[in-house]
Amino acid sequence: MTKQNRVRNVTENPCNMCMPMGAIVPFKGIENAMIIIHGSQGCATYMRRHMAEHFNEPIDVASSSITEQGTIYGGENNLKKGLENVMQLYKPELVGILSTCLAETIGEDLGRTASSFTREQGEGFTARLVPVSTPGYGGGHYEGYIQALYSIVVQLSQKTEKHDRINVFVPHISPADIREIKRILELMEIKYTLLPDISETLDSPYIQPYRRIPAGGTPLQEIEAMPGARATIEFMTMLEDELSPGKYLESEFGVPLYRLPLPMGIEACDELLRVLKKLSSKAVPEVIKKERGRLLDAMVDSHKYNGAGRAAVFAEPEVLYGVTRIMAENGILPAVLATGSKSPALKKLLQSLTADCDEKAIILLDSDFVSIQDHCANRKINLAVGNSDGRFISEQVGIPLVRIGFPIHDRIGGQRILSVGYNGTMMLMDRITNTLLAEKLSSYRQDMYQSLYKYPSAAANDH
Amino acid sequence: MINNRILDEILGQYPVKVKKNRKKHIVIKDADMDRQEIDANTRTIPGVITNRGCAYAGCKGVVLGPLKDVVHIVHGPVGCGYYAWLTRRNKAKSEDPTKNYMTYCFSTDMQESDIVFGGEKKLTRMIDEVVEVFKPEAVTISATCPVGLIGDDIGQVAKNAHAKYPEVNFTAYSCEGYKGVSQSAGHHIANNGLMQHVIGQGNMEEVPSSFTLNILGEYNIGGDGWEIKQMLEEIGYHIQTVMTGDGSYEELKNAHVSNLNLVQCHRSINYIADMLEIKYGTPWLKVNFIGIDSTIKSLRDMALYFSDQGLMERTEAYIMRELQKVETLLEPYKRICEGKTAFCFVGGSRGHHYQGLYKELGIDTILAGYEFAHRDDYEGREIIDSIKLDADSQNIPNLTVEPDVNRYRVKVSPEKMEELKEKIPLNYYEGMMRSMHEGSIIVDDLNHYETEELIRILKPDIFSSGIKDKYVVQKMGIPTKQLHNYDYSGPYAGFGGAVNFARDIAMSLASPTWNYTVPPWHSKPLLEGKILERVSDNA
Repeated sequence: MTKQNRVRNVTENPCNMCMPMGAIVPFKGIENAMIIIHGSQGCATYMRRHMAEHFNEPIDVASSSITEQGTIYGGENNLKKGLENVMQLYKPELVGILSTCLAETIGEDLGRTASSFTREQGEGFTARLVPVSTPGYGGGHYEGYIQALYSIVVQLSQKTEKHDRINVFVPHISPADIREIKRILELMEIKYTLLPDISETLDSPYIQPYRRIPAGGTPLQEIEAMPGARATIEFMTMLEDELSPGKYLESEFGVPLYRLPLPMGIEACDELLRVLKKLSSKAVPEVIKKERGRLLDAMVDSHKYNGAGRAAVFAEPEVLYGVTRIMAENGILPAVLATGSKSPALKKLLQSLTADCDEKAIILLDSDFVSIQDHCANRKINLAVGNSDGRFISEQVGIPLVRIGFPIHDRIGGQRILSVGYNGTMMLMDRITNTLLAEKLSSYRQDMYQSLYKYPSAAANDH
Repeated sequence: MINNRILDEILGQYPVKVKKNRKKHIVIKDADMDRQEIDANTRTIPGVITNRGCAYAGCKGVVLGPLKDVVHIVHGPVGCGYYAWLTRRNKAKSEDPTKNYMTYCFSTDMQESDIVFGGEKKLTRMIDEVVEVFKPEAVTISATCPVGLIGDDIGQVAKNAHAKYPEVNFTAYSCEGYKGVSQSAGHHIANNGLMQHVIGQGNMEEVPSSFTLNILGEYNIGGDGWEIKQMLEEIGYHIQTVMTGDGSYEELKNAHVSNLNLVQCHRSINYIADMLEIKYGTPWLKVNFIGIDSTIKSLRDMALYFSDQGLMERTEAYIMRELQKVETLLEPYKRICEGKTAFCFVGGSRGHHYQGLYKELGIDTILAGYEFAHRDDYEGREIIDSIKLDADSQNIPNLTVEPDVNRYRVKVSPEKMEELKEKIPLNYYEGMMRSMHEGSIIVDDLNHYETEELIRILKPDIFSSGIKDKYVVQKMGIPTKQLHNYDYSGPYAGFGGAVNFARDIAMSLASPTWNYTVPPWHSKPLLEGKILERVSDNA
C-alpha cells in the first residue's frame, strides 16, 4: 500500500483513546477516592480492562449502567443508585463522576445530580463529589486527563492560610516517574502536594489484608489547601491557560507559577533543579550532583552509537516533548514526532526544538499509526519510541520499539518504567542506545561483508 | 463451606433493595431439589463493580471481530474502536495476508460537530475510502452509543453503499452500548445480521463432503479453534466455517450447505444455530472440546449423529491414540493439582466448560458463574419458554426465519432425530447447574465485592476469570488463570490443549513466589527466649 492511496477520512489504528479514559487517572491519584462513569457499563469495563493490563493492578471504576430506558427517561436515577452503592461498598472520601458520549448526548447534568444526591444524603454525608464533563467525542485521553485535573483543583481548592508546601502538577507519567520526582523534592527538602499521585495507588505493593481502595494518593485536605501554597510547579508547558490548574491558582489566589517541561533530558533536569534551588534554602545535595555526573558520563559513553539513530516518537504531548529533548541532546535524529492529541502549543515547541536538526522533523498531531508508519518508510526510521500500539509498526516493517508511556500491553511493568530526572533520563537513554546497538550487532558482520566484498548473492549463499 | 446464613451476612452490606436483587442471582446447589432457579440476564446494579461489558462489545468485539477478511468499521467517537482493537486474542491466519484485516482498527472518530450535525456523511466517505484502498469483499458497520441517539441511519448508509459497490457485502449493526443489559444483547444483534445478510449469500449448492460441519461459538482464543479443526479434520470431517474464530466471509456465506452445526459457546451463537435448523434443516449439537472427557464425549456424539462405521472407527482410534499420548504428560501436573479447589467465573460458557477439565486434574470447582448468560445457560434449555421477556430483552429484535424453498434439506429423518435426541444433546443444552455438586455455589454476574467476600470464606486455591478481577484476586494471594485470553497462553481445547492447561495451572499453584508472601519479620515470634527450667509438666 503506498502513501498516495491511504485512506484519510478514516482513523486507522488510532493513537488516542477517549476523554473519560484519561480522566480516570487523576482520580486514581487521590487518596481514598472512587470513580463512577455515567454511561453504558461497557465504557467502564473497557477502560478498566485497558488500565488493568497496563498497570497490572485492580482498577475499580463503577458504572451507572444506563440502559435503553435511561436513554429515554434520563439516567439520573441510575447515577444516584450507583453513587449510593459506591458509598456503601467503598466508603470513599471523594467520588469522581465522569460523563460519556451517551450521557452528554442525552444531556445529563452531572453537576445537578451530584448536588441533589449530596442534599438527599443529609448532614452526615461528608464525601466530596467531583463531576467532570468528558464526552468521548470531546477529545482524546490526554484532554480527558487535563480536564479532570483542572476540575479537581477548581472544585476542591479553597482559600487557605499560607503554608510552606508547594503544589506540583504532573501529566500522565508512570508511578515510577512520580516516585522519582518526589524523591528529588525530598532531597531538596521541599514540602509538596503532588497531584495526581498514582505512585502507590497504581503500583501498590503486595500487602495483606487486601484494601479495596489502595493506600496512597494525594490527600483531599492538601488539594483543598493548594491556594495557600508558596508556589506551583506545573510539568506541563503546553497547557492552554484556561485548562491550567497552576494558572488558575495563580490568577485566583496569587500562587506563583513555574511551568516546566517534564525533567527528561539533562537540560530539563537542570531547569528543574534551578527552580527547586530557588524554592529551597538548601544547596543541591551531593547525591543529585553525582546523578547528574553519572548521566553526563553515560551520554559521553553512548554518543558514538546514538548518531546512527533516526527515530519516530509517539506519545502524549508532554512525554513526546521530553523524549524529543533527550534525542536532541544525544545526537539522535527526531525525524517523525506524533501524538493523537491536537495540542497546537506542542507543534510550536517541537518545531523550535528541532529547528537545528539536519533534517526537518515531521510533526503529526491528531495522528494515527498508519500515518506514522508511512512517514517511517519515507524517512528511513530505525528506532521507534512510544506506547505498545506501535508494535504493529515493528511487526510489519521491523523497526524496533522502545516502550514508554501508556498503554503498554504487550510487556510487563509499564508502571515501573522510569524516564524522568537524571536517573530516569539515563535509564531511558540506555534502553534507546542498547536498542540501536542490538540492531547494529545483529547484522554487523553481514553488512560489512557485503559492503567490502560486494557479492550480495555469494553472501546470501554463504549462510 | 457456604450456607444461607453466611450468604446473608455478605449481602447484608448492600442497601436493602440491592440485597434482595443480588440474592436471586446466587444459588447454593441443593441436589435434592428437582430444579433451582437463578436470576440472569437482568439489569446490572449501578455502582457495583461488574465485569459485564456492553452490546457493542458483544457484537463487534466478540462475534463480528474475528471475521478476518472483513473490514470492521466502528461508527462513533474514537474510544470504542480503540478499545475493541485486537483485545480478544482471537487468532487468525490468511493465505492472502492482504485480505487479513485483523490488526486494523477503523473508526469514524466522530467529533462534536458530527454529534450535532450527524455522522452519516462521514461514514459514507469512510466507506468509499475503505473500499477503494482495501478492496474487501465485506464490510461491517457497528454503532456505538451516540449513533442511535442522534438518529444516524447506518442501515440506509449500508444499503446505499451496496448500491454503489454491488460486489461488496455491507451489513450494519445497531449495537449501541446501552442496548440490552450486557454483551449478550450484542451477540443477538450480530447473530441476526449475519443470518440475514451473510449466511446463505454464497452460491454453493452441493455439500463438499458427507461429513461437513460448521463450528459455531468457537472464537479461536489462543488457537483453540485450530486445535479443534485439526482434530476433526484428522478424523475425517470437513469444516465449512467456524463462527467466528479465524472465520471468513468467504466460508461463512456458504454455511448453509453443512450437515451439522456444532455449538461450543451456546450463549453467543444459539440464535444462529436455531435459525440454521429452521431455514436449512441443519440440526445443531452441543459440544464441549474443553477437557478430555468432554472432548471424547463430543467426538463420539458427532460420530453417532452421522452413524458411519468408518467415522466411528476413526474416532475411536483417534481417542485411543491421543489418550495414550496425554496420560503420561498429565501425570506430574495432576500430582500438583490433586485436592485443590477453584472458582470458575467466565463469560457465557467457559464457566461451565472448564469444570470438567479442572475435575480431571483433581481440582474441585466450588464456585462457578457467568458474566452475561441467560437462565437457560444455567438451568437448561427446557426453561426457555418460561422465561418472561423484560423490556430490555424485548428491545432486541427477534429475527424469525422461514424454511428456504430451494435449500432446505432434511439432514436426518424425524424418527432418527428423536432416537438420536435420546442419546446426544441435539438442539439441546443442559446448562451449568446440573453438573455441579451439592453445596457448590453458583453466582450470576459476580462483582468485585462478592468476589472478595467469597474468597475470604471459601479460600479457593485458584481463581479463573478475566483481567479486570485478576489483580484483585492476586493481591489477595490467590493464583489466577484468565479464561478470557488465557494469559497469553493456550490452546486449551482438545487433548493437547488439556495438557497445556494442566501445565499452566500447575505452574501457578507451584510457583515459588507464593513461598515469599509472608515476610521473615512476620514469621518469627516477637519475643525470643529459651526454657531454662521446666517447673511443672502440668502448668
